[in-house]
Amino acid sequence: MPLGSTLGPPNSRLLRALRSIDWVIVVITASLLVLAFINLNSAAPAPFSSRIVTQLVWCGVGTVAMFLVSAIDPRTLYAVAFPAYGAGIFMLVLVALLGYTAKGAGRWLVVGSTRFQPSEIMKVLLILALARYLHGLPRHRHRPWRNLLQALAMVAAPVVLIVRQPDLGTGIFLALVALSMLAVTELRLKSLLAVGSSGIVALALMWRYGMLDYQRLRIDVWLDPELYADDEGYQTIQAMIGVGNGGFFGRGVGEGTQNVLRFLPERLTDFPFAIFAEEWGFLGCAMVLLLYASLVLWSLHLAARARDRFSALVAVGVGALFFWHVVINVGMVLQLFPVVGITLPFFSLGGSNLLSMMVALGLLQSVSRSRMPG
Amino acid sequence: MIDLRAADDPRLLRPRLQVMAGVALLVFAALLGRLCQLQILEGAHYARRAEQNFVDVVPVDAPRGRIFASGGEPLATNRPTYSLHVTAWVRRPADPGRGAEATVTRREPMPDGVLDTLASLLDFADDEDRRRFLEKVRALVADEARGRYATRVRNNLSWEENARIQARLDDLAPWVDVRASDRRFYPVGEVAAFVTGHMGNVSSERLRRQDGTGYRPGDRVGHTGIERQWENYLRGRPGARPRVVDVRNREVEDPPKAAVASLPPYRDPIPGQDIHLTLELDLQQAAFDAFEGVLAGGLVAMDVRTGAILAMVSVPAIDPNLYEQPIPRAQWEAWTKSPLKPFIDKTVQEHFFPGSTYKVVSALTALQDPHFDPEREIECEGSVLYGGRRFRDTHAHGPMNLEQAIVQSCNVYFYTLAIEEILTLERMAKVARAFGLGERTGLGLNGEVRGRIPTEAFEARTGTYQRGVQLNSAIGQGNVKSTVLQIAVLYAAVANGGTVWTPYIVDRITTHDGRLVFETEPLAKPRPPVDPEDLARVRRGLYGVVNDERGTAYSERPRGIEVAGKTGTAQVGREEQKEGDAAIPGWEPTKDHAWFAAYAPAEDPQIVVVALVEHGGVGADAAAPIVMRVLEHRLGAVAATGTSRPAGVPPPLPGTRTPRGGS
Repeated sequence: MPLGSTLGPPNSRLLRALRSIDWVIVVITASLLVLAFINLNSAAPAPFSSRIVTQLVWCGVGTVAMFLVSAIDPRTLYAVAFPAYGAGIFMLVLVALLGYTAKGAGRWLVVGSTRFQPSEIMKVLLILALARYLHGLPRHRHRPWRNLLQALAMVAAPVVLIVRQPDLGTGIFLALVALSMLAVTELRLKSLLAVGSSGIVALALMWRYGMLDYQRLRIDVWLDPELYADDEGYQTIQAMIGVGNGGFFGRGVGEGTQNVLRFLPERLTDFPFAIFAEEWGFLGCAMVLLLYASLVLWSLHLAARARDRFSALVAVGVGALFFWHVVINVGMVLQLFPVVGITLPFFSLGGSNLLSMMVALGLLQSVSRSRMPG
Repeated sequence: MIDLRAADDPRLLRPRLQVMAGVALLVFAALLGRLCQLQILEGAHYARRAEQNFVDVVPVDAPRGRIFASGGEPLATNRPTYSLHVTAWVRRPADPGRGAEATVTRREPMPDGVLDTLASLLDFADDEDRRRFLEKVRALVADEARGRYATRVRNNLSWEENARIQARLDDLAPWVDVRASDRRFYPVGEVAAFVTGHMGNVSSERLRRQDGTGYRPGDRVGHTGIERQWENYLRGRPGARPRVVDVRNREVEDPPKAAVASLPPYRDPIPGQDIHLTLELDLQQAAFDAFEGVLAGGLVAMDVRTGAILAMVSVPAIDPNLYEQPIPRAQWEAWTKSPLKPFIDKTVQEHFFPGSTYKVVSALTALQDPHFDPEREIECEGSVLYGGRRFRDTHAHGPMNLEQAIVQSCNVYFYTLAIEEILTLERMAKVARAFGLGERTGLGLNGEVRGRIPTEAFEARTGTYQRGVQLNSAIGQGNVKSTVLQIAVLYAAVANGGTVWTPYIVDRITTHDGRLVFETEPLAKPRPPVDPEDLARVRRGLYGVVNDERGTAYSERPRGIEVAGKTGTAQVGREEQKEGDAAIPGWEPTKDHAWFAAYAPAEDPQIVVVALVEHGGVGADAAAPIVMRVLEHRLGAVAATGTSRPAGVPPPLPGTRTPRGGS
């Protein structure tokens, strides 16, 4: 290595560290972050508003967290997976007991002056815990139902706590991530299908009995937003208008009328992609989707090359995390799904979310570092 | 460290990972497909919908056309002021309080607090005004479909009101908005009140009619006079100013360039057209001044050579400027109840017994009878008995021929002609109608009434026929009714040798930049079948009225001008004493109406002036001085300056004589 030879022995550690970094992840992440901040800045009420600055700070914290986590060996992660999961559940219980409530949902814990959303971190913790559980499944003694039920119980605990907040979207989201991980392990397809279909039945039952009015309304709106164009459907329709208004090349940053003239509400949190689509057009959207797809595929690639089953499942989990985030959020903006509060990683304003995404990428780095060559 | 490799080889997962990667790619491809659909295939559609969001077209008021007197003096102009607009339903972000991510924006009605604040900043004329204002705004709040557009709810805000609202605009926005607009201003006020007319809010009935006139709630339209009659010319066409608005419907100062580019073009308002009247302002003023002390009455001055109206006064009159502000209910009720009828144009909207002024018609009718000898003398003994009734005269005039009967206004002479059936209702009606009585003159102002010329068929139909009714008709009583304007047309025709003009007051109409749109050509009605010599005979009688020392108006003859005319003292019969009559000092509803109709100069008639003083008593005393003052003013002034504006020379352009706005 010419670099190593010129820098000499004192730098060899740094060099090793640099070489051990998965630059694919870093480049994809950095590209997405740059686009995301341009977009946030364009959508914010004023350039470099305090909320953007806060988000930048979170980004810095997240980056540090990512590199710290990437330095942890998967074996250590394996060791802490269950205790961390327990801590996460504990925090969710805390939220249920004394959480901060905003917009009718109690999701936040207040630590000092910052609000913190445990359900975000729970996404990562569940991946770790489930990976560890699935790792330990003895392959040759198939007891599929018992194993499946145990795994489901592990998933169900946080899901129920989160759905009760109420945050049905994140609950379903967690279930989908878990299901993706289960799908990779050798649980039989038959039992997976059973789980999937019972999940659908459960949703149908909830629709009939358990759903809150606003959740039901949101599905009505999804089916025919024009009917609710002035009220509940307004958001959906304006998002579609924003996307469509982008056309092929986009309107240009800061030139999208749906954005600049504030026709689209929730621009910073749930609907930043509509703004991005309006200002960057089809080209920009395709670029972003390509970046996300690369990240997901790279996770699967790392899973296939992982040194052990735990690492592989962590990689699959992280891939699924991004995959479902993107698919649900973008699908919601494009009116393929009803409106749910699933954010678009990096693009949505929100510290907890950004931090947990960076931590998840740290996990991926860790897996990447320990992967088998070739 | 734990050896994780003790578990199964992760490479066993690869087949499912590959399937998963395939599925993931398919899903991303689906998202891309949807994007392609929305952005590329349906992009134009959504771009149009985005435009619908931010493009807002605000109407630009067209300046209303002005009204000028013949010398270019403005009678109605515009002054800048402010109007208050309310948008009762505004889209705002709402915190639903229902949970989770469900933040939506919704149209919200104006809160009561804002309305209360707004109401506290306005100066109301009275409680009624306040109540009506609140009602109007609440109606908008109650009707979301109508309330989402800015509606003008109050005109002509005072400077103080505007200042107060501006100071509190932060509390009132986005529901309340003050915009610059024009108010109508009438420099001479009540002097020409019935000619210019006044403005008022467009009626809800007219708004509902949807006849393509494009009136919007809160618009002002002409309610009376020229303002009403020529509304379509005066109004102009509002322009359209496109603007980029944000979600709160506020104009954006620095909109995206593409947004500006996609705005529809600005459309200039087309100012209303200016109306130039034949009215001579100084004559109008003189006539108005001459009515000082008169409670109710009217006057018409007309050019006998064209039928152009030179002055047209009706008292009492309401200053049209008052209609630009809310009118207190007490004031309104006082007007409505007043027996003086301040809303009625006494020159055209009410008809009266013409009294002795009608003897001109009787005389011309008699002269048409070939067996009638105008020189034959009839002895007047002060009254005549016919059909068991006694028909009275003022006093015994002695022997009368036709000319003297006019000069001294002898009733018995005409009674006798009626008894001899030289004058019948049919014959008189034929002549009267030929001179335009009993029909609208066609001036087209303030809803003219027709007056009434009775025939036997009419009397039979209304059940008023009785023996001797032709006797009363012969002296302008009975069922004969006519307007002041009709008498003016009649005397003009007598003066000018038999041309019955269709009177007109609009000389020409120009665009705001002075291009001629319309010009009135004097229009004569068919010539009445009267002999010029007969007319000359009648004119001699009319000359004697003023210039013969036995004439009824001899005492009022002016110096320097030769005037010919006829007095009239019309009995009003036993009118019911109406409530409120007693409250007005000098108002005696049982007194006769006083008429005087005159033209001058007697030898070369130019102008006819007819005045009516309601319940003024004897025509020579009450009405003649008014007419004489007007004639003196007109002809004296002309004599002094040599000439009035020569024919064919247009009056100075509007605004050159009197700068608009005055500042």
